[in-house]
Amino acid sequence: MTRGSISLTAFLWLIMGFLVLYPLSILVGESFKIAQTGGVGLGNYLAFFQDTYYLKTFWNTLVLGFLVLVTSTVFGIPLAYILARYRQWGKTVFTALILLPIVLPAYAGVFAFIIFFGKYGTVNLLLMDAGIIEDPINFIYGLQGLVFIQALHMLPFIVLSLSAGITNIDPSFEEAAEVEGASGFRRFITVTLPLCTPSYLAGAVIVFLWPFTDWLTPLILGQVDFLPSVSYINIAYHFTDEHRKYMGIVAVVVSSVVCISLFLLARWWVERRKYTGLSKGTTSEGRVIDPGPVIKTGSYLYMLFIAGLVLLIPIVLGLSAFSRRWVFEPFPTYWTLDNFRLILLESPKLIQNSFVFSIVALGFGILFGLPAAYIIVRTRVPSRNALDFVITLMLAFPGMAVGVSYLLAFWHGIPLATHWIIMPLALFARRLPYFLRMAHSSYLQLDSSLEEASEVSGAGKFKTFLYISLPLLIKGVLVGVVMFFIMAFQEISTAIFLYRGGWETLPIGIFLNWHRGMEFGIAAAMAFLMIVITFILLLIISRIAGGILKAAWGPGGK
Amino acid sequence: MRKQNLATKLFILFLGGLLLLPVIGAQAQAAEKIGWVGPVYKELSDSLTKSFEKFYKDTYGKEIEITFVRPGGWPVCLDKVRAWGDKPDADIFLGAGAPAHEVLKQEGLIVPYKPKDWDKVPAEWHGMKVKDAGDYWTCFAPWIVTNLYNQKVLKKLRLPPPKTWKDLVNPIYRGNVISTLPYASGTMHETVEIILQGYGEKEGWAYLRLLAAQLARYSTGSTDTTQITARGEVPIGVAQPQMNAMVARRDGYPVSDLLPDKTILVPEAVALLKNAPNEKNGKIFLDWLFSMEGQKAVLNGGYFAARTDIQFSKWEKEGVEMATHAKKALGVDSFWDLDVGFIEYDLDLATKRWDDVNRYYEYEIYRKWSELKNSLALIEEVEGEVQAAKDQNMDVAKAEAQIQKARELFEYDGKYAAARLAATKARTMLVSP
Repeated sequence: MTRGSISLTAFLWLIMGFLVLYPLSILVGESFKIAQTGGVGLGNYLAFFQDTYYLKTFWNTLVLGFLVLVTSTVFGIPLAYILARYRQWGKTVFTALILLPIVLPAYAGVFAFIIFFGKYGTVNLLLMDAGIIEDPINFIYGLQGLVFIQALHMLPFIVLSLSAGITNIDPSFEEAAEVEGASGFRRFITVTLPLCTPSYLAGAVIVFLWPFTDWLTPLILGQVDFLPSVSYINIAYHFTDEHRKYMGIVAVVVSSVVCISLFLLARWWVERRKYTGLSKGTTSEGRVIDPGPVIKTGSYLYMLFIAGLVLLIPIVLGLSAFSRRWVFEPFPTYWTLDNFRLILLESPKLIQNSFVFSIVALGFGILFGLPAAYIIVRTRVPSRNALDFVITLMLAFPGMAVGVSYLLAFWHGIPLATHWIIMPLALFARRLPYFLRMAHSSYLQLDSSLEEASEVSGAGKFKTFLYISLPLLIKGVLVGVVMFFIMAFQEISTAIFLYRGGWETLPIGIFLNWHRGMEFGIAAAMAFLMIVITFILLLIISRIAGGILKAAWGPGGK
Repeated sequence: MRKQNLATKLFILFLGGLLLLPVIGAQAQAAEKIGWVGPVYKELSDSLTKSFEKFYKDTYGKEIEITFVRPGGWPVCLDKVRAWGDKPDADIFLGAGAPAHEVLKQEGLIVPYKPKDWDKVPAEWHGMKVKDAGDYWTCFAPWIVTNLYNQKVLKKLRLPPPKTWKDLVNPIYRGNVISTLPYASGTMHETVEIILQGYGEKEGWAYLRLLAAQLARYSTGSTDTTQITARGEVPIGVAQPQMNAMVARRDGYPVSDLLPDKTILVPEAVALLKNAPNEKNGKIFLDWLFSMEGQKAVLNGGYFAARTDIQFSKWEKEGVEMATHAKKALGVDSFWDLDVGFIEYDLDLATKRWDDVNRYYEYEIYRKWSELKNSLALIEEVEGEVQAAKDQNMDVAKAEAQIQKARELFEYDGKYAAARLAATKARTMLVSP
């Protein structure tokens, strides 16, 4: 514990206090207000836990989180293994494809699936035209659709974290298992997977928490009885009913408490079993296998299947973007470029705003996240766990609650919300956990002996960080950077509350155009544009500077 | 290792660049400004923006920068204005019906202003205030609450379009109706109020229970209902702003609205916010909005125009494309000629019991939705059995009275469990009278 790390911690605390604790404490304070008497008390919480409806909602959300996690894990494990281990052509492209669902605001994906799988969507119309079915099948509305869409949306997190874990495993562990006679599958179950648990849990927690914060997808699919959706309706539509609003905030606080407890549990488990190897998986290429023809074909088919599902989103949105009046027809019939003309000529500002806000937020994220990860993992500063806790808090708070609390906190008292910097600041505070998780789990896998060696040889802490830790961490950090940027780029729930005229981002543009309800075209075109921009971004970055994706995924791809 | 170092260096360079960004990105200040906040659709705000910019340029020889913020439906917009308090970030509250504006007025968030041509808008319409007597707010785009159906899907299901509210609760439509929750949408809330005031409270709640049993599910909001109906997911959408049907039809969806036998007018209104930063331009905008030119922009934005001296046929000749659609949608030449079953609306009562109605609907209908459906199914089943027994000339007098009681317990008292018990009793009475 040096003086440097203490003052660094104090500085980080100052920022967190300002951007997280202060606004959120205002929000939590609201949850104790009693609407009937105007006083303060525990009444709302008692009402919440005595109300069978809220308890049912609570239970539904837990079940949904579990279903989404199981589904994405089952589909994610083979995918991560294939991408991390097999030497095959097209890995970069597939990797980028798998990342696509999180590029989009969750609801843009929902639109695509509604258009494609809806009762009078492409699939049903084709089946009916072919005479295979008489009446349309309900594929997408309901719990099955919700689990499918949320699991697909969160699949990248599972794949990214598992695959980073698999790549980082010291090859000698698995070789040892082989020498001892463990077969391929047994080795995978008993050695590879357990070694991935720290990485996996970093992703799994995010996936499990998703149904606790995603209010829009359930609402679009007509499933209201989940905690975030209920709190959204209660907060956003309370009108004059103050009690309803406070109950909504109580629901937000309760779900946050659940999320954070689960999160701490997962972390306690990770800390208990730290896996680090001395030969430093982070710098070596990881193990790469040349699979046999059968496995190779199988893995290609599997990747194509997942990529096909993912590709449906841009394809369907693309078709809508280039057409008009696509109704009750399996494919559009009227083609036009009008939607793009409108976006590019009349509102190029949206694109610019999206980039500026996300990039500035990313800058804040890196500047804050790396020291924070360092403090949390490497030092024994007293408040480091609390710092982690506070940052993670943001993961559990629905964006809408963040937006409301920011408006409460930064409009009257500290008039920050009048300057556009509030947008990147909010994005930063809200998306920081995504970056921190990656930096955190990379740090865990980096043996401190290397840094100690550097310090023993006379390098200072900062120099050690710059020349030893950062190059070794770069993979995890870059994955974190990509994830952070993506998540900031598609953020809407907070931004929709904070934006002023002229600050609209692409997701807000999608929301505004979609809300007309009728003309999908422009919204679809914007969503399509977002996919294209981000996909190009991913590909360009993978070419420069040794390639973020390659760096993140280990070489072997082409 | 060298490659990694290069990556690290680039990374740090990139970070340094980022730090400069906030400094570079300072925003230019325009001389004239005006800000709108409100729940109107983007099509309307686009149309108004275009026309008002042109008008301002032509009249004052200056550019005006218009900003429009629409964070969500009207309760969300209202909350945003509340959060702004006495330091609003806009000048005009654009859109939302009378109840929202009444709240804005009560909470002291808007100030009175009487635009030019204010007298061209009627003061009242079947009990609904169309403008505030104290000049706080004025309706610029009236519409009526209606229901929407998808002609194509109903035809496929071989169902006739329901014409009245009573038609809608016919069991043939079960599972083919969708609506949202009254506390998630102002339009749905008004629909509940129409039923309660149109049929009386007792019959009204009975009707709403039966209607709930017809639903495929609840939607997220009125616009969601429009979309689901237009795409054919569920063919009948309850509680729709009338112009949604007009615009959906224009966009090629096979939908039609059923002008219901009981409805009300919703005065989409506009008001000047207190402490508006650009008050002068706000007033210019309000004056313009009620001019003929402004009203045309309203119609071009997919809303009906409010002035009484407007004739769609005249505008049609002047080349206003939307006038044709409006005439077709309404079937008359001016909005105010509309001949539908307006109820006499008690705005004070509606405003006073707003939250209570929502809460009752939530607790007694929405939260008990599956129980409600099961109970009604059982009652209908036993009613069928009673009828069958009657056809076989059995003595069903006692059972008939009992099942009648079950239905009353269900419809009027909302006692779903007791209703099921009564229905089961009726069933045993059939077997051993």
